[in-house]
Amino acid sequence: MEWQEVIKRLLQNKVSLFGILIILFFIIVAVFAPYIAPPRDADEPYLIPRGGWSIQPQPPNEEYIFGTTEGQYDIFYGIVWGTRTAFRIGLVVVGISSFIGISVGTIAAYYGGFIDEIIMRITDIFMSIPFIIATIVFVTILGQGIGNVMIALITFSWMSTARLMRSQVLSVKEDEFVQAAVALGANDFRIIFKHIILNTIFPVVIQASMRMGSMVITASTLSFLGVGAPEGYADWGQMISFARNWILGVEGNPLNYWYTLVIPGAAITLFCLSWNLIGDAFRDILDPKLN
Amino acid sequence: MKKSYWILLLVVIIAVGGYFYSTQQQEVVEEPAQEEIVQEEPAEETAEVVNPDTFTEVNMGNIDSLDPHFQYDTSSAEIVDNVYENLIRFDKGDITKFVPNLATEVPSEENGLIQNDGKTYIFPMREDVVFHNGNSLTPEDVKYSFLRALIQDRDGGPVWMIYEPLFQVGSLAEVTQEVVGVENPSDLSAEQSEEVYNYLEQAVEVDGNNVVFNLPQPFPPFLSIISQGNGLGAVIDKEWTIEQGGWDGQPDSIAEYTNPTKEDDPLFDKMNGTGPYELVEWTNGESTILKRHDDYWREPASIPNVVIQMVDEWSTRKLMLQRGDADIVYVDKQYMSQVEGMDGVEVIRGLPNIYMGAGLMNYNIVTEGNPDVHSGQLDGEGVPSDFFSDIHVRKGFNYAMNYDAFVEDVLEGDGQQGRGPIPEPLLGYEEDSLTYSFDLEKAEEHFRQAFDGELWEQGFEITILYNSGNDVRKLAADMLKNYVEQINPDFKINVRGIQWASYLDKLIANKFTLGFIAWGADYADPHNFAVPFLRSDGTYGGFKGEDYISWAEENVDPVIDEGISTTDPDEREKIYKDLQSLAYENAVDMYLYQPTAQVIMRDWVEGWYYNPIKDPGIYFYDLDK
Amino acid sequence: MISYIARRFLILPVILFGVTMLIFSMIMMLGPYQRLSTYIKDPAQLKGAEDIDQLVEKFGLDDPWYEQYGRWIGGVVKGDFGWSESAGAPVTKAIADRFPATIELALFSLIPVILGGIILGVLSAVNHNKTLDHIIRIFAVVGWSFPSFVFGLLVLMIFYGVLGWLPPGRLSNWAYEIIRSTDFVSYTGLYVLDGILNLNFKIVVDALRHLIAPVFTISILWWAFILRITRSNMLETLKKDYIRTARAKGLAENIIVYKHAVRNALIPVVTVAGQMVLGLAGGLVIVETIFNIRGLGQFMANAAQQLDYPGVLGGALYYGFFLILINLFVDVSYAVIDPRIRLE
Repeated sequence: MEWQEVIKRLLQNKVSLFGILIILFFIIVAVFAPYIAPPRDADEPYLIPRGGWSIQPQPPNEEYIFGTTEGQYDIFYGIVWGTRTAFRIGLVVVGISSFIGISVGTIAAYYGGFIDEIIMRITDIFMSIPFIIATIVFVTILGQGIGNVMIALITFSWMSTARLMRSQVLSVKEDEFVQAAVALGANDFRIIFKHIILNTIFPVVIQASMRMGSMVITASTLSFLGVGAPEGYADWGQMISFARNWILGVEGNPLNYWYTLVIPGAAITLFCLSWNLIGDAFRDILDPKLN
Repeated sequence: MKKSYWILLLVVIIAVGGYFYSTQQQEVVEEPAQEEIVQEEPAEETAEVVNPDTFTEVNMGNIDSLDPHFQYDTSSAEIVDNVYENLIRFDKGDITKFVPNLATEVPSEENGLIQNDGKTYIFPMREDVVFHNGNSLTPEDVKYSFLRALIQDRDGGPVWMIYEPLFQVGSLAEVTQEVVGVENPSDLSAEQSEEVYNYLEQAVEVDGNNVVFNLPQPFPPFLSIISQGNGLGAVIDKEWTIEQGGWDGQPDSIAEYTNPTKEDDPLFDKMNGTGPYELVEWTNGESTILKRHDDYWREPASIPNVVIQMVDEWSTRKLMLQRGDADIVYVDKQYMSQVEGMDGVEVIRGLPNIYMGAGLMNYNIVTEGNPDVHSGQLDGEGVPSDFFSDIHVRKGFNYAMNYDAFVEDVLEGDGQQGRGPIPEPLLGYEEDSLTYSFDLEKAEEHFRQAFDGELWEQGFEITILYNSGNDVRKLAADMLKNYVEQINPDFKINVRGIQWASYLDKLIANKFTLGFIAWGADYADPHNFAVPFLRSDGTYGGFKGEDYISWAEENVDPVIDEGISTTDPDEREKIYKDLQSLAYENAVDMYLYQPTAQVIMRDWVEGWYYNPIKDPGIYFYDLDK
Repeated sequence: MISYIARRFLILPVILFGVTMLIFSMIMMLGPYQRLSTYIKDPAQLKGAEDIDQLVEKFGLDDPWYEQYGRWIGGVVKGDFGWSESAGAPVTKAIADRFPATIELALFSLIPVILGGIILGVLSAVNHNKTLDHIIRIFAVVGWSFPSFVFGLLVLMIFYGVLGWLPPGRLSNWAYEIIRSTDFVSYTGLYVLDGILNLNFKIVVDALRHLIAPVFTISILWWAFILRITRSNMLETLKKDYIRTARAKGLAENIIVYKHAVRNALIPVVTVAGQMVLGLAGGLVIVETIFNIRGLGQFMANAAQQLDYPGVLGGALYYGFFLILINLFVDVSYAVIDPRIRLE
């Protein structure tokens, strides 16, 4: 199936169209963030401005339309600039880790034998530590900060792509046209790149779009646990961690601080939902079993 | 078919949105109804005490160790305080008045038990006191306990507190250095060990039924240091401790028993004291269970069982309080509004807390490999190493802090601005002493003078660090940033949170710029605050850089030494007042706040009183419900 | 197959060694003063530079990394996993204390996750492209998109804050008192099981009540995963020749679906079980943190944040060991279920 065909189908499918529209909305928010929520200090736009020094969250009002979190961080501002953070994490982490995964998986499968064995055992080692634990350890060591979160996520997320790529390449490798190319004396690199990768890339792309959501979730989980974004940095996960101790409200009104949880929670869920809808539709289109 | 997708998604979104909208609406409508319910429940609860035989305290965090001579944190101290006992104790939280405990009299000049111009303290011992295992207390146990503490002296532990009055040094290592020239006590040979032991032994003697302490110099806070609540003065059972594998009581074995790790310390998880409660079970991070000691030398405690639970999640603690499952809970300052007005719950705020939170300024910042000073020079792009050595810079920062807003908003009024290293109500604290106030004009005036006006022209950029998770410190740093940047557009402050590990590293490596720290009282005496903050080798003073150290050696240390060797309270007061104003005049640190404490308990708790030295630990013996 | 199992067992120590080396080398990226933070929790505990260097020496933080690793591994060989500063207990004890909570939660989650996922998947496939299919799939993808900490907090807010039904923790306070009393024998540390064994059904009910919210939070996430695999395989199977034949023979649709198709569609579910257990292990970290369950996940998260490397390494070894074992079990049982698969 050709790229154009896939994209056409994605746009025709209402579900993936819905996903694409949400993503477009987030892209607009991210691009126009400086106009939607002008930063107080242009040098540090990712620092959420404080509307005071008090600890108690304030409900939505005219000045802060989504209210403020504990410590008076403006929720609206955090959501808007947090969109940029989410995109940055998603694109960088998925991009680089997919690239690493594709390279590693292809090399392992193409050369096989001893190289394959070594690479796959290293992959096993990286996979044997639960992802979230591994990233917590690494971020704790590297220190807080979005850059460090991305490094940790990349370090521990390339393995599934590598495995997928390896199995894809193994099956393609037996195909006639690859065999033919080898017989014709094409060099290793050309074979790998031209024939194998281009013929195996679709499942990896599906996986990548699903991972966009999960990487953003993991990054915000780290912030939620207090090891990710620095305090006051525009990041959805952190905004939710600000909500953590307020979810039971006050005497007589358990939902008193609902906005601290529901608004950032909705942003992050919608973001992940849109990527998953696209990934899902993508899969349906490409899954030969269903056609 | 495909249309149904759209319809369904819409339904989901509307349903979710509608739910929250409607709950919002409902709140308004249902409020009176809910109040009724709330009022009904507690009416039953107050009438009927939940679990009358068990007192439940819900706290958070871990307990470091149950060894009274090892632990140095409030959670451990609370358990130790209820299980072990000291020679004397404070009279129900009055830190100026002692009453006898395991001793039968409190030594004083008047009763002749303090002799030799305040250098000899005599404690007549109480008889018929038994440990939880049934052994009787003897004066020998007291001597053994103090010697064990001195020998154990673990790194980072509390024992320095008695080395100071008894030997005028800070640690066993200093004693071994002085007596036999060995730097590390674990390297002592048997002979050297005996020599050191003999030196230590002359400080604590048994004389018939008396225990006698010999001090080389008068040390006014001595009684306060060894009083109940401070574990290092706790008396343990010699026979039992040796059975457990603790120090064998022999002079030649110091090397073997000094400075243990927790896993090597036999008393880490075992207790046997003379106190009103004995240990039943301890699961670290989960719960500690105590039961009444029936052979206690006073009337046995009125509540038979005590459970101290560790629950880190605030929402759970809150629920336990609400239901009456907990009698006392720990509440972070920021959640006070959530317990205020809870039925059947008593909230007491504004309890004096002997504690000082301050901003520490590093007079000689190590600039090499330190991104926090940026360019490391006075060029508008960074700060030079001696940035804070300039008194005008320090004063500028001191005037740029909004103390009132900090106390009102961050502490929600539960505290006051610090007036120097010494907090209320210790000697030397004065309600109307001079202090810095929030005054941007004065701040500007001083910044203009700093570095002969060069700073004002060039501007600066600096990064202030705080350890992540500490909201109060972050807020303080954010405030400074906010106000200092208003003074001059070329002034730039970055606030950055780093993990505790890196924060500690910065402090040790002298790479911090301005950092917020705090000191809580070990014992109730201004000496305990003057030393860490001001002395050239104090916990914090020692980290403030060469310029500070040499200044303090000349100007501060002699005053502190005079203060601690003077016995007359009036004279002492004058000395500590001098220290307080010395700190003000030189803007040594930014003394930000002295918080007050609060206690949150069910209203059926009786007999509770506040002890500022033990806060937030509770002494269960005096309680009932 | 035996040689396959043997090979996997031989590789096991290699992997575990690799895992510990990986974690250890990460932690050794920090300097000795930074790692001292595990032992010094408050600057007030510092007394000056001398004291600090003594502490570094005492805990051997300044030694070359291989010596520190050697010390640790030497202990492990003797069965001593070291001291966990974050738990304030030996690592083995800390893990043993927390293991039952995690196992209980994992076991109780697996049942609804797998059963629910399969049922939803079958329903979805049978009603291919009908309304029910769409509802189920949207439900699943929304569930999959919910970060579990957001969902968990929402559950707490509504079912605990507003309704008061599902409290956090493992047991109510009164139940803890029964558990701690001498009449109650703790056989397994799994409260539901212990309750049954002690014939104390109040405990069983209370423990189950506390399990609902975390299990629900986990299930919401994993249903989508199982559902998708079941659905896709069901659809494939339903097109297979033998199903067509069965239909042609006039067998009732229900029998076809449940007898033939479901059984065949289940095989791939077994294959992903290993992957799922790994994901579940990670998910438990968050669920345990939010619902205040003192389990292995919470322990490891704490240890990681406090750079308590014996704690993290010990936990990782435990996890690694179990995960590899489970994967092996899955591989073998897969080969047994489906003879066409041969293990190399």
